[in-house]
Amino acid sequence: MKKVKKQDISKLLSQWQKEFTVFVPSRETGVVEMVVWDGQDTGFLDWYRNTVIPPKANILPNMEKMFGFSKEDGRYNLELPDSEEQKHLIFGIRPCDARALSITDMVFQDAYEDTYYLNRRKNTLLVGMGCVNPYDSCFCTSLGLGPMEAADVDLMLTDTGDEFLIEEVTDQGKELIAKTEGLEEATRDDEARASEVRDAAYQRVTRKIDTKEIAKRLPPSFENEKFWEKIAAKCISCGICTFLCPTCYCFDINDEVVGGDGARFRNWDSCSFPLYTQMPMENPREEKWRRVRQKVCHKYLFYPRLFDTIACTGCGRCIRLCPVNWDITQTLASLPAEATAGTESRNGD
Amino acid sequence: MAISDISHRKRFLAEGNVYLPHIAVIEKIIEETPGVINLHFNFKDEKLREEFTFESGQFGEYSVFGIGEATFCISSSPTRLDHLEVAVQKVGKVTNALHRLSVGAEIGFRGPFGNSFPLDFLKGKNLVFVAGGIGLAPLRSLIWNVIDNRDEYENIGIIYGARSPGDLCFKYDLDAWEQDKTVKMTTTIDREAEGWTGKVGFVPRVLEQAAPSARNAVAIVCGPPVMIRFTFPVLEKLGFTPEQMITTLEKRMKCGIGKCGRCNIGDIYVCRDGPVFSYAQIKDFFSSEY
Repeated sequence: MKKVKKQDISKLLSQWQKEFTVFVPSRETGVVEMVVWDGQDTGFLDWYRNTVIPPKANILPNMEKMFGFSKEDGRYNLELPDSEEQKHLIFGIRPCDARALSITDMVFQDAYEDTYYLNRRKNTLLVGMGCVNPYDSCFCTSLGLGPMEAADVDLMLTDTGDEFLIEEVTDQGKELIAKTEGLEEATRDDEARASEVRDAAYQRVTRKIDTKEIAKRLPPSFENEKFWEKIAAKCISCGICTFLCPTCYCFDINDEVVGGDGARFRNWDSCSFPLYTQMPMENPREEKWRRVRQKVCHKYLFYPRLFDTIACTGCGRCIRLCPVNWDITQTLASLPAEATAGTESRNGD
Repeated sequence: MAISDISHRKRFLAEGNVYLPHIAVIEKIIEETPGVINLHFNFKDEKLREEFTFESGQFGEYSVFGIGEATFCISSSPTRLDHLEVAVQKVGKVTNALHRLSVGAEIGFRGPFGNSFPLDFLKGKNLVFVAGGIGLAPLRSLIWNVIDNRDEYENIGIIYGARSPGDLCFKYDLDAWEQDKTVKMTTTIDREAEGWTGKVGFVPRVLEQAAPSARNAVAIVCGPPVMIRFTFPVLEKLGFTPEQMITTLEKRMKCGIGKCGRCNIGDIYVCRDGPVFSYAQIKDFFSSEY
């Protein structure tokens, strides 16, 4: 294992910047997100806990051009955007957000490959940074990972105070470290300290959910309209919990035209909005409680059925950033026990 | 219309960038009813025209560039591939734009997507087609498919209804099936209308009166949800099991390939797992949001 002094992070990133477009946490725009490193500032090391906009935005941008079209004599010409050759490196991605990418990969690889997502994904190296200071809204340890989980990144950094220990997780990560200069070998003492940091961080995640109990209680609660109405009562359908969720991937496809030429774009969409499912004559999820139910059940019931994993990593954004303090962990904890669930009549549609 | 020999064509799977439409040219526009047109179109790319196949029940994503994309089943039969057809009802932004196009205009097509009517299951069976309004569009693909391979199926009955004589789609097909001695064709309208000499009554009622036998039979039902809701109980009464009832579901779609998220019914994605389902499957769906 290697290590690097915090004061040398700038040198490290400068080396990597020669090969990669390096993204680091930034609060320049007013919300914390991963943006292209300016080549100097490493101040984020002092304030960074997690981004507001998850790094999914670097792989599945909230708006992206799919192709352009131009019309000449009534004939259309379609043009794909230039494929990006430049490799990306995201520095400081948290384990929950890296796991989220592994989870959304399943959808974008399934049946038909989504070339936009997958090209960007293959072209991006993830340098993870373990959380020493998780939020009290975090609950990653209930979802099979932890604040120092390294399984979904190429390199994993553990903060031991003045230094980062660097764990080489994938071959790509190893290759990068092999050609990186100025790193020191970590000692046994360093590794022992990293292990203590890891244990302490794990203990700091105190919010819990019981996934076994949820798997038992959710199916019989599905048709419990009264329960979902209560759960959805204060939701204002703003969509923030889905836009900022690292595992939410729903999108809309739209055309924009200026003059005769135009382009087709895709942009994030949300199951929180009634328009999302609106059809000319009917809407299967017109009522708010159906949409809230869809969001919860997609993550904790449908996704596990389809891909054998819960589509939530416990990042806590939907709790921290909800304008009306809706809390998914409370929802999940309040699912009726099996004995009383399912007594409501099946709704009439 | 010549029946295409497609035996040499492989199953056509969209590949590469599946969001990039193929350019197709409108060759003919038939006004079916005041709100419904049937577009005949063909791919601009000659190689694609040679290679393209699909199965009855599959759908495409159709583009009017600058306006957007919308989802429609292919309404022609894969046994007649010299062109493709799509029936479009004027209801929204894209469908209105499609209605404004003229012959020679270019549209985009992505597909074919989705599953299809289970031909192997239908072979050797008595087929009862039940359709209402524009719901005939997906069914006529299958009906022509079956008629073009007539020997492989037993009796064919078709019950088709619309609100008024003016709302009947594909009248030229109705005439052809009427004249086909191997097909039992029944056309009905909801209410009495001047000059109408055919049957009057809602489709489920007419089906009940016709009372087709459930023995070795499969009913394939397409139409507005309200018609489907009233048709299944009638079929059950006639002795059809849920496995013997087939329908197509409709949901708002964008990507057509199970990614954009909106067409789900529980863990079922209508675009990826459908649009063709047996009533047995629908009854077992986790969610009743269909």
